[in-house]
Amino acid sequence: MSNKAAVQALQAKEKVMQDEIERFKKLQKELQKFTASRMQLDTQVNENKTVKEELDRLEEGAVLYKLVGPVLVKQELSEAKLTVEKRLTYITKESERYADMIKETQRTIEQGTEKLGRLQQDYQQALMKVSSAGR
Amino acid sequence: MASEKTTKSLKLSQLSLQQLDRFKAQLNEEVSILTSSMQSLKTVQLKLKESKESLDSVNDKSEGKPILVPLTSSMYVPGKLKDTSKVLVDVGTGFYIEKNVPGAQDYFQRRIDFITRNIEEVQKNLQEKHMIRENVVSMMQTKLQAQMQAMRVAK
Repeated sequence: MSNKAAVQALQAKEKVMQDEIERFKKLQKELQKFTASRMQLDTQVNENKTVKEELDRLEEGAVLYKLVGPVLVKQELSEAKLTVEKRLTYITKESERYADMIKETQRTIEQGTEKLGRLQQDYQQALMKVSSAGR
Repeated sequence: MASEKTTKSLKLSQLSLQQLDRFKAQLNEEVSILTSSMQSLKTVQLKLKESKESLDSVNDKSEGKPILVPLTSSMYVPGKLKDTSKVLVDVGTGFYIEKNVPGAQDYFQRRIDFITRNIEEVQKNLQEKHMIRENVVSMMQTKLQAQMQAMRVAK
């Protein structure tokens, strides 16, 4: 292999490695985003759970209001319970969906780490070959 | 408990310096997250306590008393306390429940108890993390010293 061809091969390898690093960084950013969303959802789940607990303690005919914009609107207890229940199922499902996405991304990142390691090794070997041939 | 401890330190001694360093960084992060949640829990606890205490001034005696109602942070209009038997409690996610004073006090006490339990939990967790971190740091020192010793011998 001529020196020029070897250099070209080296550059190609470097390009592949850079692309992989870019992909890796993007995945990590995504993972962070997912984790943050999941945490927010979990907070909402907890808040809704405490509200549900509180509503469940109330007796029929209790007076309660819902904040709509800046206005407090009177609401039936059964209606409020239904709202919270629906919200809770929706948010819980969302949270689970994010949990799955986080797992998936983590797996891809793990695979990416392995691949990156191989690419780096490959690149180092090629680099050594070129530099020793140049001497 | 004792056996658990030994398995933990056994595991630590098997880790490399790099691994230990990473472990320490992770622990540091966990400690800072726990510390900040502790802080927010304490803020909430204080708020609930204030709310509960302010209920003490809402009783039959204060009915009809003149008050100043804040319209903005710098403007007040005079008013009169009309009904001191019922209060509205914000229970979260935009719901407000009408309660009588003892009911509201009971609510706040329950919330305070709940938060206090949480704080205790976080505290325990935090102490545990601190202990593990200390172990990691001392293990790192031991390893570093061993490494330096080995280098000196090699020379």
